[in-house]
Amino acid sequence: MTSEMVLRPGDFGLGRVPARLAPAATTNMVCGFCSTGCSLKIHLNAAGEAINLSADPDYPVNLGMACPKGWEALTPLAAPDRATAPLLRDPTTGKLGPVSWERALAAFTEKFKAIQARQGKASLAFLSTGQIVMEEMALLGALAKFGMGMVHVDSNTRQCMATSHVAYKQSFGFDAPPFTYRDFEESDALIFIGANPCIAHPIMWQRVMLNTRKPEIVVIDPRRTETAMASTLHLALQPKSDLTLLYGLAHLLIARSAVKPEFIAAHTNHYEEFAGFVAEFTPARVAAETGVPEETLHRLVGIIAERERVSFWWTMGVNQGHESTRTAQAIINLALMTGNIGRPGTGANSITGQCNAMGSRLFGNATSLLGGYDFANAAHRTHVGSILGIEPSTIPTQSSWAYDQIIDGIDRGEIRGLWIIATNTAHSWIGHRRFAELRKKLDFLVVQDMYATTETAQIADLVLPAAGWGEKQGVLINSERRLGLVKKVARAPGQALSDFAIFKLIADAWGCGELLREWSSPEATFQILKKLSRGQPCDFTGIRDYAHIDVSGGIQWPWTEEDERTKNSGDHGASLSSDVGLLWSQLQQRRLFADGKFFTADGRALFLFDPPRPMPEPPDAEYPFILLTGRGSSAQWHTGSRTDKSAVLRKLAPTVLTAEINPDDALRLKISAGEQVLVRSRRGTVKAVAFVTPTVQPGQIFLPMHFPAVNVLTFPSFDPHSRQPSYKAAAVAVIPAS
Amino acid sequence: MVAPLKKQPTLALIDELLAEQQRLDTPVARFSQAHDGGTASVPASRYRDLIPLTAPKPGEQYAFEVDLDSCTGCKACVSACHSLNGLEDNETWRDVGLIVGGNRAKPFQQTVTTACHHCADPACLNGCPVLAYEKDPVTGIVRHLDDQCIGCQYCVLKCPYDVPKYSERLGIVRKCDMCHSRLAEGEAPACVQACPTQAIRIVTVITHSDSAARVDTSDFLKSAPDPAYTQPPTRYLTKRRQPQNLAAADAATLRPQPPHWPLVLMLTCIPLAVGFSTAAALLPAFPEKFVTYYATNFSGTSPLPRALGFTRDASLLAAIAAIAGALGLSASVFHLGKPLRAWRIFLGWRKSWLSREAMVFGAWLPLAVGAWALPAMAPAAALVGLVGLACSTMIYVDTRRNFWRLAQTGPRLVGTAGLAGLVMLSPRAAAFALLVKLAWETRTFYDGGVSARLQRGPLRAATSIRDIFALSAMVLLIAAPGWLAIALLFAGELTERYLFFRAVDAPKMPGVPS
Repeated sequence: MTSEMVLRPGDFGLGRVPARLAPAATTNMVCGFCSTGCSLKIHLNAAGEAINLSADPDYPVNLGMACPKGWEALTPLAAPDRATAPLLRDPTTGKLGPVSWERALAAFTEKFKAIQARQGKASLAFLSTGQIVMEEMALLGALAKFGMGMVHVDSNTRQCMATSHVAYKQSFGFDAPPFTYRDFEESDALIFIGANPCIAHPIMWQRVMLNTRKPEIVVIDPRRTETAMASTLHLALQPKSDLTLLYGLAHLLIARSAVKPEFIAAHTNHYEEFAGFVAEFTPARVAAETGVPEETLHRLVGIIAERERVSFWWTMGVNQGHESTRTAQAIINLALMTGNIGRPGTGANSITGQCNAMGSRLFGNATSLLGGYDFANAAHRTHVGSILGIEPSTIPTQSSWAYDQIIDGIDRGEIRGLWIIATNTAHSWIGHRRFAELRKKLDFLVVQDMYATTETAQIADLVLPAAGWGEKQGVLINSERRLGLVKKVARAPGQALSDFAIFKLIADAWGCGELLREWSSPEATFQILKKLSRGQPCDFTGIRDYAHIDVSGGIQWPWTEEDERTKNSGDHGASLSSDVGLLWSQLQQRRLFADGKFFTADGRALFLFDPPRPMPEPPDAEYPFILLTGRGSSAQWHTGSRTDKSAVLRKLAPTVLTAEINPDDALRLKISAGEQVLVRSRRGTVKAVAFVTPTVQPGQIFLPMHFPAVNVLTFPSFDPHSRQPSYKAAAVAVIPAS
Repeated sequence: MVAPLKKQPTLALIDELLAEQQRLDTPVARFSQAHDGGTASVPASRYRDLIPLTAPKPGEQYAFEVDLDSCTGCKACVSACHSLNGLEDNETWRDVGLIVGGNRAKPFQQTVTTACHHCADPACLNGCPVLAYEKDPVTGIVRHLDDQCIGCQYCVLKCPYDVPKYSERLGIVRKCDMCHSRLAEGEAPACVQACPTQAIRIVTVITHSDSAARVDTSDFLKSAPDPAYTQPPTRYLTKRRQPQNLAAADAATLRPQPPHWPLVLMLTCIPLAVGFSTAAALLPAFPEKFVTYYATNFSGTSPLPRALGFTRDASLLAAIAAIAGALGLSASVFHLGKPLRAWRIFLGWRKSWLSREAMVFGAWLPLAVGAWALPAMAPAAALVGLVGLACSTMIYVDTRRNFWRLAQTGPRLVGTAGLAGLVMLSPRAAAFALLVKLAWETRTFYDGGVSARLQRGPLRAATSIRDIFALSAMVLLIAAPGWLAIALLFAGELTERYLFFRAVDAPKMPGVPS
């Protein structure tokens, strides 16, 4: 009994560890949940198998800390419901049953080839993920588009980061988040817009708390979130009034002459038009439309005007909106006009969602051609074709439909075969009842996942069992553009294979194995991707191999061969002091645009803007509440397909769907705390338990997004530029359940 | 002879990839770190300021100090504690709750990390019947001695902060030990090491002036259970102005407590046994018509007792008492996670009502069995049984839970004994007593408290069943007294005891709605 609890020195730079879990060795690798990209020190037994982990004290991202998901990262691997063999739906019984890989591959190719023969090559589509390594994403994209002739492919990054991708691409000329995490520590004013890092990105919040410059922390969020509590100024604006608010701030900054004309003149285009456009966003109008008092607007503008280093940070509150791209660009505009970019502690900074959303943005081969190139550009197709040794004519000349357009394509009968990889559409897609309906229109649905129990796997015709994070190799790119390594420290159960191996098998079975011969292993693929990055803003040709990433504490792009040769810091454009420690730390923290040169053709950033539009489904008499959705706990990830496998993480999140409602509304509707309520939208009704709290405003309801019921209610509207769904605004009614 | 079939290329690739999948990166040490010695440890600079430099002096102890302004609810402390202490899959020694309040103009929420408070006057330690808790004389850390624990879970009932957690696998309780072995080496506890915002630290606080345990609890969390009971030294610091109406976010969450079936059975059988035992002892003192009724209907003329040889004396009452007592005490053994260690249960007699109860009933059972054979032993059995029942009552009263206050626990347990004592002598009196008892219990259904809401909500069915049993028993006791009425009466008491455990208000630190 007592011996169960004995601790002993852990060696390997660890403190004391449980004696029964004492490691024989350790190795570091990046976490596979969110985009923070923390490094975890994996404790290994003598056989090299992972038995425990702790946070890596020496990594420049997390500095020895991890969130609860990171601490529990190994647990989901050992879940009893792992998919251990391919499962094929038996047409007679209608049930999924185990089959050999050979049979599964035959079914995959026969069914999909038959669909293509009937309906054309473009009738096959895939929906993938930001959760697999970069090499796998690239191999999938190459296989599907160059080998199988697919045209329309997309991934769940559409649900989280498409907006940032498009906003940066249009404004800066490339999808390039400019910051490094050190900027959290070096800022005088941090302005968080639609972001709750205390819960969503706790390790980034750690970096904010390490800021010794007595910063102003401003939170723009309809809810009084954990982060809003920790702020020095909270703007509890009306939902989806952020674009108006941001234009109003620009208006006031101009009125205060708090803009940097020299920077604007030297490094941007279209400022004059923008200044003219925001003239009508007077404080009175903005206050009326956003619910933020004029004096608060002035206070915030004072902060932006007076503090030397102002940084802007946004995430899903901005990205998931019906006019999200312009909203993100309104933030970029504020940074550009005040010269808050390219200097320490500044920037218009998108905090990414998934562990490899950034890898997907470069190598998903969906909207952009591999490496951030353009499908429509013949020179780009020739260039990429020559690197990959393929005929440029095999490369599609158009970019893919977005996720919602693929769904519509299924509805119209144009997409008849769908392959879903490591995402859970039947749970996470907006207004997901429609997806369940559309399933019937698909001739064949393949789901490739670690678990055969996800809502989507359950409705598949064929389930391919995948190895997970920790059971394979590859690279993830985090929010600050840092490439980090994932290693194989656990054996996949049964016949499960890495996504990389599955793609190789499918290539072989499809008959295009030869085309992808060079893509022989994840690391060989990494070398191919390096070549694709050459000369692009994301150039990482200076990274030799996996071992180089491993010993360097991750490496941020760009890292060119030239950088590697001169150990250029990228920050000051000059060689650094001889102090090795300083050199090392500056090499590990590099930001973009120090020289004011952007990635557009003329090197200038663009001011982009459009008039705000009303939210597509405003509340009315029948549905008087605005439904907000968001992260309910740091312990839940995505649809819970992995985090629900950990008993500890389950304990740290609500076990039932709770609906947060303001006490005034609860009183009016005679709803008491803890009571069952029905939340109703035009798309369905769900049951929830009332959590009466003043942290949500009257007229608003908050539901945590991790429960499958929530996306029964959400309203499918999409940003016209990024096609990202607007998850955070739907009209609902609330009534007591009894 | 047939040549071996040449494998299809795809098949060969499948085999190759499946084999490759099973090869780990790490045995070849390609990436594993080649640390040589066992001397390296976590860089102490990371938490140097978060643990005390010196051991506490006499009259002082270690305590957790939480900077609420830094605690933002990431919950890393919970899982780090889990991983670095190698806990069971679903075992957690720390928790993070939420308190909310304020108004429309100033809404307020605060996440709260909490673990064992290592109280100056620990209720767990005071209640433990086998001395399986010790308060470290130097550090003041309240340590649970896993090898001593018998798994009675009384500490779980005693602790007002819901700290000790029972492990089904181990059959014992475990809890936070403030990572005492880490602190002894100058290493910070797991939660302190793992907090990204350094919200948790270990401080030294004064616990004793003279000899009485007394800490300054003015910095204890306002929306937590009253610190006066156990003197928790944990300090929750904040510079924020907290609104008056702060409440735990899970205050409205109804949490029916575990039924503890062996205890339900025991706490029904034992009072029943004591009741019969007392009736047996007092039989001569009852009015003549009661005794006649008993003799006529049960002891003398009733076919079954007569066949078994019970005639006009108290031996039927004494026999039921002995059998029910043995049954009740046997049931209690099934409650223990480690019954083989139960012989030590007397060790805690100085403080623990559970120890006292076990000792008294241990002495009582032989007396009760003896009284069956020797009527002269009946008064002694009755007397000891009543003392034991008083101890049983105090076990629950001593938890300071509202539902288990003396005014409820006493009438319930003693009431069962009284009903047992009357039911074979005067069914009408028993029916009247049951009416009074039921009315008294029902007060807890109407007072609007946690137990009332439990009985009206998730425990509604059990509450109704209890009422139906009691009312039908009453009717039968008056209209058609006999064995069926008695069976219904005790079925009702059994249900009442089930509710006694399930509907209790169990205090805890603030949690999250669930």
